[in-house]
Amino acid sequence: MELTDADLIARVLGDDDQHAFGELVRRHQSSVRGLLRQLTRTDIALADDLAQETFLRAYKNIRSFRGEAQFSTWLYRIAYNCFREDARRRKELVGVDDAQLQAEHDPQTVDPGLRHDLMHALSLLPLHERTAIVLCCQNGLSHDEAARVLDIPLGTVKTNVLRGREKLKRTLAAWAPN
Amino acid sequence: MNAMIDDETLDRQLREAAPYIDDEGFTARVMARLPATRREPQWLRAVILLGVTALGSGGAYLLSGGGRFVREGMIQLSSFPIWLLLVLAFGCGLLVGAFAVIFAIRKTPEVRDVTQLRF
Repeated sequence: MELTDADLIARVLGDDDQHAFGELVRRHQSSVRGLLRQLTRTDIALADDLAQETFLRAYKNIRSFRGEAQFSTWLYRIAYNCFREDARRRKELVGVDDAQLQAEHDPQTVDPGLRHDLMHALSLLPLHERTAIVLCCQNGLSHDEAARVLDIPLGTVKTNVLRGREKLKRTLAAWAPN
Repeated sequence: MNAMIDDETLDRQLREAAPYIDDEGFTARVMARLPATRREPQWLRAVILLGVTALGSGGAYLLSGGGRFVREGMIQLSSFPIWLLLVLAFGCGLLVGAFAVIFAIRKTPEVRDVTQLRF
């Protein structure tokens, strides 16, 4: 029988079982690394460094996980915090300049070879919309859970998802063959 | 230009477009960076436990006047009817056994997982 996340967490807490934590890492590494790759605009090396940091923090702070949310939601929150701290350290703006976004988003500037490339279309969205779309639409979090992960109001998440979806739809519609 | 797709289709396409990222040694790298466990060795725990038990027993023996209360207690017990002694012994055994089972379940992950089976 496959153990649940809760069973594995209980083993880590009760017995300091690092193998159990390893199983948790194996289960969630793909979604956490995928989220961070989207946040870092597919900078794979940076995303993986941040993912490692995410799991190390999760291990050190696992006693603060109270089981009120899913373990994956808790991990996404840590991952997002790691990303934000790293962005601050690098003195980069979190978010994309509107003019830059408009240029990126304009279908005329998109390589025709990238038609139907949904992941590329996603990477063109500004950070706050991209993050909301990845969490809610791709990873299946509710708006409420995403609001907790991102530490922003529920209404902002809904707006970001709505705007992100509309932009993706427009981009995909423009890319579709006539 | 194509008609715009609906939310549900877009979400499904997004989920399908997200590739599964193979582990490729990622978990091993995380595990290598985990801090070492800081639990004290088993022998040290056993020595501490036995030492405290011996110290407590010695203290209790001295404070009870060289076991006078124990001897008096035994004399009182001997005057009890045999069935009551049997009930007392059985009750004590049951209590200790229950504590032992609870402790074993808490300390043994395999047993604990079996007790959490959901049907």
